[in-house]
Amino acid sequence: MGFQPGDYYDAADMVVWSQTHGFDSFGRLMEALAYLNTTAPIHADLVQEDRHNYVLDGRGSSVLLCGSEAVDLIRSQVIQGSSAALELINCYNRTFIIQRLVKAAQCNFAFVTCWRQLDCCVKVSIAAGAELPEYQTFRMIDVFEPQSLRIFCGTDLEAIETQYAPQLEFGTLVESFSRTEMMDCYKNSVEHGIEIDEALWQTLDDLGARILVESTEGSRAGAGD
Amino acid sequence: MRKYTHKTHNSDDLTILQMRPASQVMQLERLGSFHQSRLSFMRTLVRRMVAENWQISSPVFDLDEQGYGTVVYQVEAKYGTFSYVLFSHYLDPDNRNDRVIADQWDLTMGLCEGTVDAEQLDFLRNNVPKQEAGRVDSRVLVLSRANRSARTFEYVVNELAHGHQPDVDVIAEVGYLYRTTAAYGSGKLGMADWEKVWTKHRDFARPFAAEMFTCYMLRHFSMQQADHLASQRAPKSAVALDEDIKRYIGIGNSTGLGMAPFLINHPLLINQWIEMRETALATVIAASAFGVDEVILTRLDTATQRVIQHLSEIITTDERQSNANLLVREELQLLHLWLQEQGAVLATKHYVWESLTQYAELHWGVETQEVINTLLIELYPELVDRLEEYMWVDESHQVSPEMPVAELLEVIEDKYDWALAIDFSKQESIGTFWYRSAEKMEPRLGQTNIDMGMDKEMPLGIGRCVRECYDRVYDYNQTRSKQNVAHFIVQNPTYSGIVGRIQTMAQSRYGDIRENLVHTDVLPIHLLRCKLSFFGVSKFDPRSRLWVRNTMFQGAPLISDFGKLFVDDWQFPIKPVLTSG
Repeated sequence: MGFQPGDYYDAADMVVWSQTHGFDSFGRLMEALAYLNTTAPIHADLVQEDRHNYVLDGRGSSVLLCGSEAVDLIRSQVIQGSSAALELINCYNRTFIIQRLVKAAQCNFAFVTCWRQLDCCVKVSIAAGAELPEYQTFRMIDVFEPQSLRIFCGTDLEAIETQYAPQLEFGTLVESFSRTEMMDCYKNSVEHGIEIDEALWQTLDDLGARILVESTEGSRAGAGD
Repeated sequence: MRKYTHKTHNSDDLTILQMRPASQVMQLERLGSFHQSRLSFMRTLVRRMVAENWQISSPVFDLDEQGYGTVVYQVEAKYGTFSYVLFSHYLDPDNRNDRVIADQWDLTMGLCEGTVDAEQLDFLRNNVPKQEAGRVDSRVLVLSRANRSARTFEYVVNELAHGHQPDVDVIAEVGYLYRTTAAYGSGKLGMADWEKVWTKHRDFARPFAAEMFTCYMLRHFSMQQADHLASQRAPKSAVALDEDIKRYIGIGNSTGLGMAPFLINHPLLINQWIEMRETALATVIAASAFGVDEVILTRLDTATQRVIQHLSEIITTDERQSNANLLVREELQLLHLWLQEQGAVLATKHYVWESLTQYAELHWGVETQEVINTLLIELYPELVDRLEEYMWVDESHQVSPEMPVAELLEVIEDKYDWALAIDFSKQESIGTFWYRSAEKMEPRLGQTNIDMGMDKEMPLGIGRCVRECYDRVYDYNQTRSKQNVAHFIVQNPTYSGIVGRIQTMAQSRYGDIRENLVHTDVLPIHLLRCKLSFFGVSKFDPRSRLWVRNTMFQGAPLISDFGKLFVDDWQFPIKPVLTSG
């Protein structure tokens, strides 16, 4: 698919974290692969920038390809200031972003991110240094671009909630997925492994085969014969 | 010249250690001259098993008169119970192949958590013999397989059946009855992930501990099977293998290019291993600040003579290794004479080990230098062994997106000067490429512009990647010097991986291996030997520049030695002198 080393390590981390923490990432991955498999890698464009705000255009690609860039960009700004906001427009598979936020939180960044999912809005918050986020779904009351993702970053979660309160107003809470539930999923995954269905396995196998080189008698010499 | 300093891990001990610099240590030829040390994984595993008196029984020992069947060993370690399940199969000698591309073996094994019931045993019987073609579950920690030595196995069984012990010289020539050709773990083929192993199973919560244990149990089985076959063939005349010969029997190992990508893809882990080994060396050198005990000098001399004998007993057809062994023996002989003549004076000399290592660096070969370093580390278990707890590290790369691009350039110039010094415009600098073959995904080397597969090259040429990244950052910096790495990555997303690696490794003490791995004359065998030395193998016998035979656990205690008084000095094994018969 043309993923480079930085891309595929990050993408693998996102998929594994999401799956082991109960977010059905394999289903999302299957959908993502159907698209990624048909095109060369598309990375995001930085289309707008000021001191505290960025807009990245994902150009219809997956967060698997542009999630790391988005998170790195916003935290580079926070290091120089106190907070920053980023909107990633025109992107898919947004749930995968959570792993990048969790990883960055270990470096003392706090995040709130939200995106539209059908008629609801998903909000994910994580405090600086926390190992797991808070994941909630609300009724939507604001106009939200269907394929956009907003990230707010600082060093203190409460300060972010306060500073960006107008942009974080949602309707009633529909459901939440607690840290305890995430941890239970994770422990279960570690203990019992994770199941991959036949179709996804076959797809991954087919993709993996693309990097393999046909074996010949001559090529065997290149391994020690 | 030692120019870096480093505080020890013991917060009460503020000794400033003189660590060897990365420019010296991370040269591939030097890494390829490393030997087993007290921190090697086999050594730490054996220390743990003996000290904790692991109990090993065999609730299932179902072998027929030809040695085929099923064996289950139950292992009661300090913190948990494990089962080592082994299947012994008939293998047509024509199909015996040590390469990863083989699909049949004499033995296949799995290490499982807990006990194994009949249902799980059936499941394992259906999958373990298939190895890569099978699937297991997260109750399995390691899968492995092994082939008999055509030179020793039948010979040993026949001798025992006739009531004789095998000739030690024959054993010495080979060193083992079986060769293992792979030991898989860490989530491969459906097995338990490393996360599970290190969080749940404290007995194996160190790198490769479970894999090394699997090989150790193979060694135990190999000798038990030989005894079994001999008694089956000649119940009246057969004798059991002598205990001293048993200790001298190890497990053979063939390692090829499959191991090489690991060293490149796990730079933080390799850095950690090397840093601990170098910390051990610096610690023992510091320990000689005010002279050394004469007993220690005597132990060094004894060990030196043992290495000389050990090397003289290695039979290798590889001319380079053979010459290297000869040179090491000659130079160690000089060390032996020096210790004999100067012993009394040396005992009172300040920093005698620093003088010795500096002398070796000036006058002796790299292999000899590294043997001496290993021997020095052996002398101070009380200072060194605690470092075994630090052989693991979190391997996640951390990008510093706020770093100005100009600073990134400086980092590359400082930490990757070795890569920038390579002229990649020369054909020989890019004369090799690495790829994975469709044949069981085996890593192979190809010749640039000659062999197929360049478009699917594995990204192992870190030096070249750094050079390309540097050039791109340099151009970027000409017009956008105020921008940071995050901006650079957005504009140049294909460089995110190498930038993350550079920034991460720049913070480590030893950094990346300093070698152009795509050079026409690259010697991957050095990579293999480096990793194998941390495993703890001995008797390196290169079969080409691409693969090496070696011996595991030769000289190590037997299961019957567990719980007994134990002097941990089984490195550099030599032929036993039999005390019986």
